[in-house]
Amino acid sequence: ICLWCFLRPGAAGQGQSTAVCSPSCSCDEDGGADCSGKGLTIVPTGLSAFTYYLDLSMNNITELPAYVFKNLPYLEELRLAGNDLSFIHPEALSGLHQLKVLMLQNNQLRTVPSAALKNLHSLQSLRLDANHITTVPDDSFEGLQQLRHLWLDDNNLTVVPISSLRHQANLQALTLALNRISYIPDNAFANLTSLVVLHLHNNRIKVIEDNCFTGLLNLETLDLNFNNLMVFPKAIETLPKLKELGFHSNDIASIPEGAFHNNPLLRSIHLYDNPLAFVGASAFQNLSDLHSLMLRGASMMQDFPILTWTNNLESLTLSGTKVSSIPADLCEDLKLLRTLDLSYNEIAGLPSLQGCVQLQEISFQHNHIQQIKRDTFQGLSTLRLLDLSRNEIQVIHRDAFLTLTALTNLDLSMNSLTVIPTIGLSSLSQLKLSGNPQMKNVLTAKNLPKLRSISVPYAYQCCAFVACDSTSSSEDNDVKKSTGEDVERISMIMHCSPSPGAFKPCEHLLGNWMIR
Amino acid sequence: QHKQISGVSSGCQQGGCLTCSDYNGCLSCKPRFFMHLERIGMKQIGVCMTSCPPGFYGTRSPERNTCTKCRLECDSCFNKNFCTRCRAGFYLHLGKCQENCPEGLVRSDTQRECV
Repeated sequence: ICLWCFLRPGAAGQGQSTAVCSPSCSCDEDGGADCSGKGLTIVPTGLSAFTYYLDLSMNNITELPAYVFKNLPYLEELRLAGNDLSFIHPEALSGLHQLKVLMLQNNQLRTVPSAALKNLHSLQSLRLDANHITTVPDDSFEGLQQLRHLWLDDNNLTVVPISSLRHQANLQALTLALNRISYIPDNAFANLTSLVVLHLHNNRIKVIEDNCFTGLLNLETLDLNFNNLMVFPKAIETLPKLKELGFHSNDIASIPEGAFHNNPLLRSIHLYDNPLAFVGASAFQNLSDLHSLMLRGASMMQDFPILTWTNNLESLTLSGTKVSSIPADLCEDLKLLRTLDLSYNEIAGLPSLQGCVQLQEISFQHNHIQQIKRDTFQGLSTLRLLDLSRNEIQVIHRDAFLTLTALTNLDLSMNSLTVIPTIGLSSLSQLKLSGNPQMKNVLTAKNLPKLRSISVPYAYQCCAFVACDSTSSSEDNDVKKSTGEDVERISMIMHCSPSPGAFKPCEHLLGNWMIR
Repeated sequence: QHKQISGVSSGCQQGGCLTCSDYNGCLSCKPRFFMHLERIGMKQIGVCMTSCPPGFYGTRSPERNTCTKCRLECDSCFNKNFCTRCRAGFYLHLGKCQENCPEGLVRSDTQRECV
């Protein structure tokens, strides 16, 4: 039986002792002492020997003398963040054999206090972030066999502290972010076999050697965002368990063929804000856990990426490339796709997207599409937004929208249309047709019961949708009479542009602009 | 009304505040402090801290330092995918909080870990 457990008030739930405390602190029955933000310049005395949690953060303690915690043998968490600590005596932390968490962030340390850390054999979490550390002595973490989480971010390191990390086989999470590291040599993290998370973002990393991540067999998260990498980090090939990868905001111009062939478990890849010109077509295949892929502005890219077995993709963005065609079997692989953005490419024709049954948003804006066939969007009953603007569409098959029962927003502006089919658009609330100069016919709202906003090529076409002045021609009146019950509903349409007016009259005089 | 921190007024008792208001506490933090929004009733109070509260992790960046919620099953975490302590009923292994442990490990209720 653990006798000590019974002696420690609160922890074993037995024995009521009034909490021994220091005047500068507030203590609870469980052995917690909060002395934070009290303007203290030294560690207070008079705390209970059973204190297991001590918060001294946000005071003005500049030094820790020897044996200052010798009366607190049961301490498990010590918070010293936000003081002005610049020196920790080598014996300052002596006796803290049960210490698990040590917080030294937001202080004035210039080096890792390696001597003081030496005997903290139970330490699991060590925070040294937001100091001014420029050097990490080789023996810094030598005695810390249980260390799992190490924060060294927001310091002044210029190199990876390789030697001091060499024996940290239990380390699981490490951040070296916000430092001045510019180069990562081979085997920089060689023995960190338990490392799961490595943050290197916001450094100045220009070059990383091909074998710099060798040994990181359990690494799942690698954050290289906001650095100066000019070449794709080939070193990720040695990371078989990688799931989250970020290298956005670098200077990488191309992603090679087979870039991620050794990283089959990837779930997310953040690569935006790189001057990408080329992306290898085979880069993203066989990534069955990838949920989202966003490629923008790879201006030299000509081939649509091969996505075989990348079959859990829910969002695909590929825009600003020279891609001119979409594979006919795209939807055989991408059954879970919900958003598809292929805008600003050079796509001339569309295959049938019938298999992508979960699609909700599609954008083909700004391509060279000329026609929409009957089966292009067939079966997409969950599609809500369809943007086909800024193409060269002349013909849309009569039944092209037949099954789009959930479509609410359809943008066909800036095309070459003369007529559009409206069968199937029972849920449509916004329709954009402006910029189709050949479309001169009078439109009707017959198949568009929920329409609320429409933009049309000519003002007179709005007369079918909004109340016009009395001078509208007899021809328009006939249209209104024939669709009697439509008239009340039409007046509910909030917005039609360009709205008719004195200089854009409703009547349609001989179809000649000059006369009007 | 925004106050610089030289004179600390009632709404901004903390040392990490850069600008603050009586009603909403800290509006911005000194460099290297984490900004965290605490909800008190209908009000949101800005708090500047050296480390995020339990259940949140800190992300440092040159512009600002923010606190973000951990996963539901974590009491504390290193980032959104790596827990450092689990909620009751979950057990920690390599940064994951699971209801069961991998083969060869057993559940420790006191430490909430697979050991």
